[in-house]
Amino acid sequence: MNAIETIGLSKDYPRGAALGRFGPGWRDPIRALAEVTLEVRPGEIFGFLGPNGAGKSTCIRLLLGFLHPSAGAARVLGLDTETDGVAIRGRVGYLPGGIALYDAMTGAALLDYLGAFYRRAPVLRARLTDGLELAAADLARPVREYSRGMRQKLGIVQALQHDPELAILDEPSEGLDPLMQRAFYEILDELRAAGRTVFLSSHILSEVERVCDRVAIVRRGRLVALEEIGALLARRRRTVEMRVDGPPPSLAGVPGVTDVVVVDGHVRCQLEGDIRPFLAAIAGSSVTDLTIEPARLEDAFLEFYANGADRAAANGAANDADAAAGGHDADRTEP
Amino acid sequence: MSAVLLRHTLTAGRWRLLAVAVGIATWGFLLPVVYATFGAEIRRVVEGGYLSDLLDALTAIGGGSVFTLDGSIALSFVHPISIALVAVFAIGHPIAALAGERQRGTLEVLLARPISRRRVYVTALAATFLFVAVVMAANLGGVVAGATLFDVADELRMDRLLVVWANAVLLFTTLGALALAASASFHRVVPALGIVLAFTIASYAVELLGALWPDIAGWRPWSFFHYFQPAEIMAGDASPGDAVVLAGITAAAVAFGLWIFPRRDLAAPS
Repeated sequence: MNAIETIGLSKDYPRGAALGRFGPGWRDPIRALAEVTLEVRPGEIFGFLGPNGAGKSTCIRLLLGFLHPSAGAARVLGLDTETDGVAIRGRVGYLPGGIALYDAMTGAALLDYLGAFYRRAPVLRARLTDGLELAAADLARPVREYSRGMRQKLGIVQALQHDPELAILDEPSEGLDPLMQRAFYEILDELRAAGRTVFLSSHILSEVERVCDRVAIVRRGRLVALEEIGALLARRRRTVEMRVDGPPPSLAGVPGVTDVVVVDGHVRCQLEGDIRPFLAAIAGSSVTDLTIEPARLEDAFLEFYANGADRAAANGAANDADAAAGGHDADRTEP
Repeated sequence: MSAVLLRHTLTAGRWRLLAVAVGIATWGFLLPVVYATFGAEIRRVVEGGYLSDLLDALTAIGGGSVFTLDGSIALSFVHPISIALVAVFAIGHPIAALAGERQRGTLEVLLARPISRRRVYVTALAATFLFVAVVMAANLGGVVAGATLFDVADELRMDRLLVVWANAVLLFTTLGALALAASASFHRVVPALGIVLAFTIASYAVELLGALWPDIAGWRPWSFFHYFQPAEIMAGDASPGDAVVLAGITAAAVAFGLWIFPRRDLAAPS
């Protein structure tokens, strides 16, 4: 049984703006999600990628029963989202994007209140508050005094404190500083080790690349890619630069190698797919320096947003990703 | 109904409830005091001069006046001041419970728990009923305290007073049920609150003007306030039909709300 299954899941909204109702195409609804079919396997961390407005949150809201599908169907933990919403939400932890909390309550009272709806005890609360550095003194303060990052931490704790079978997290590291992002990724690793499933919506590409097993990319409400992160990256074209002492290696006809340029002992080419034929081809040359650009999810992501406004939106997301990733990029090791 | 949600709602509203209860108890206290202290003099002035028509105006809604103890009790329940105070919970609470939480974004945090929208709805209705019942009881307590302290308690008929309280609770629960249905139908507070307030004010105006102006007297049955006549109840002329009408409207509003709320799409708050 898959943790999540959607079959042709679609959502249309009626035109809301008064002028839109009477303008051109007023009969046409706005299609927020179009025939999305995907499966999330138990025990995996699944990334759901797309810029703002691509349909990520709509999909999540359909999974939780906040929205009703216009077409298609979805099952979460084997249960139908339209008829078994209460049972589903009893086994799922959910972090909304830009979570709103009850400002007058203290952090501890809020966690007690939200946890009281579940039959499960909040067995992970202590681990989560420790990991995210939410001290008892912090939890004793009213939420209205919390910074954005602290609110996000509290949101993560409320979503995961009852050790849900499936966690659905919408932009979970938004507002967290790089140290807290790292702490959050450790929590995700622990959830994965415990066999829990995580469905993570994000536009922070380095985050998805760091934590996810598989990724789906959504564009204008349509699913445009669904793949293992490794497979997606392996297909990426990477730039290779090397310096050779003596005659350059013959790279013509080597599988995956294209656009070879040789100038004064400096060789530059594009490499795609398996690296071994390339390494075999240069084995006999006197290589003094070699740089292979790392395959990055960002490039794969941008490839799906190749045109115009889509590309601008995706670039915005990618730039956000760079800004948000901060010190996290230091984790990446050059090959 | 959810005990967890009800407890949270009552706890969150306790200070507001205390403030409104003290306010309305004070109001309820003052009217028997005014009756006991100045009622006879005011009546002589009004009836003996050019102001006799004013008597009709003053007693137009629910028979409220300060010339009799029954009239002052009626006035304590139907005067715009007491209606405004009760409306904090009869209208304000239901609007805040769904449309308000929706607008703030906290509704999705609540609905992410294993609780159905119908249970949320019924719990909000139950909380509205409890708030209204407590506020009306405070009004009643103020009336009894005022009458007792100023030595007119022997004129009180407690059995009829309890019927007035029950009828008042039913009237404002009906308003609360309508407010909750409106709250479930909108994503934002302003349209839901605007519609319910306009409806309430129009209803009050129809009952008031219908009592004073014979040409529109026939409209009075369209007003909610027509089905709450405290002076008649205090006089022993309670009409069970009033309760039936209010209960019927409440049931229809609740049925609509329970139908519409689970069917609504709750998109991300904007």
